[in-house]
Amino acid sequence: MNINCDDRERILLDGSPEEWAALELHAYACAVCAEELRSWKQLSASAGELRDYQESPALWARIESSLRQQQAAPAPRKGYWSPLDFLRHISPLWQSALVGALVVTLALSSGYLYTRRPVSSVNQGNTLLKTGALAEVERAEREYMSAIDKLAADAGPQLNADIPLMSNYREKLLVLDSAIADLRLQAGENPSNAHLRYQLLAMYQEKQQTLQDVLETKR
Amino acid sequence: MGSVGLTLPWEHKLSSVERNGERRVEPFQEKAETLGISEETPQDAAVAAACLSGNLQGYERLYRWQGTRMKNLARNLLGSQADAEDAVQETFLKIQRSISGFRGQSSFVTWTFRILVNTCHDLRRSRVRRKEQVKDDLDALPPRKELRAPGAHPSLRMALERALKRLTAHQRDVFLLYEVEGFRHAEIAGMLEISETASKNTLFQAKKNLRAMMEPPRSSATRGAQ
Repeated sequence: MNINCDDRERILLDGSPEEWAALELHAYACAVCAEELRSWKQLSASAGELRDYQESPALWARIESSLRQQQAAPAPRKGYWSPLDFLRHISPLWQSALVGALVVTLALSSGYLYTRRPVSSVNQGNTLLKTGALAEVERAEREYMSAIDKLAADAGPQLNADIPLMSNYREKLLVLDSAIADLRLQAGENPSNAHLRYQLLAMYQEKQQTLQDVLETKR
Repeated sequence: MGSVGLTLPWEHKLSSVERNGERRVEPFQEKAETLGISEETPQDAAVAAACLSGNLQGYERLYRWQGTRMKNLARNLLGSQADAEDAVQETFLKIQRSISGFRGQSSFVTWTFRILVNTCHDLRRSRVRRKEQVKDDLDALPPRKELRAPGAHPSLRMALERALKRLTAHQRDVFLLYEVEGFRHAEIAGMLEISETASKNTLFQAKKNLRAMMEPPRSSATRGAQ
């Protein structure tokens, strides 16, 4: 193996045994490399001066005593996060993957719950009648119905006349009664729905107007 | 000019110890044998299992096997025998507290020395913080006599210790672990959580810096030859 002065540093840093042997051979003929090699080895030899393996007779007794004390001491109380201690034995890569999976799961769950929430709670939130208002509406509705029934009784003889105009009014009133019956059925199932109540009121007003028209015809 | 039969003036032959795939290129034949690390794998697993079982005899085996080496590294990192013993004791307590977390991804000795090095750094930091508070008290105390290895060269050792203090903490760690304690770069990489290449580069820089600090200025003849 051919070695020259330029190889010296590289061999001192990380040379193979063969390269070291070649450097030593080269050093026989090169004063600079011989001096470098000598001082390098001298340093390693000097390191031996720092090797002092004398026993400390009392040290093990001290260590043993403290180990016994620590062993006898109650185990430290488990902290709030102790159930996650197993994570310490998992590599950081897998820890990141677990956290990512947890975040994705939470996001999907939140999205699912958001899209599956009851629609009525959003669209009808401001049109629900509270208990007190509902009672007042129902009382007013009963009175209104009673008044319309009286009006219908007044218009009864006129309506029964056998003329085409009254026939048309009768058909209109039948349609209105049918619509009122449907709406009352729906309002009975969902009494707090103000929208249904408004529709019902419109039907009653239309029936009232029709009956008034019938009475006007009589005059 | 033949080279056969010639010996180099420093009388150190190249030796390499192959362990677990890495060949350690060392100028000292005695290092690996002295440190007793060539047959460490079976013992490593046995000691780890004993400690995992919670039996204190397991810790005693670890101490008998690596205790002096741990204390030596701690003393070189902290600069005093008393601090080194504190660091070793604290290391054993930490091992006992966290042994259930040892998964065998590195050898038990590597894991132990990683805890030791970190403990020494913690102690060193806390000592620096304390230093200002107790500076006056320490100045009043007589200088502490440190035990020294038999046959050690006091001036060389002191010069090396002084030079080591001027290295970066990282360079000091790598130099002590490799050159003094005889660990391989793969083991040092595991202890300091760096790559093997980084360990080699750090050692190279550490040795270059130490040589620059410790060597007297070269003669003009040598400089001329360069």
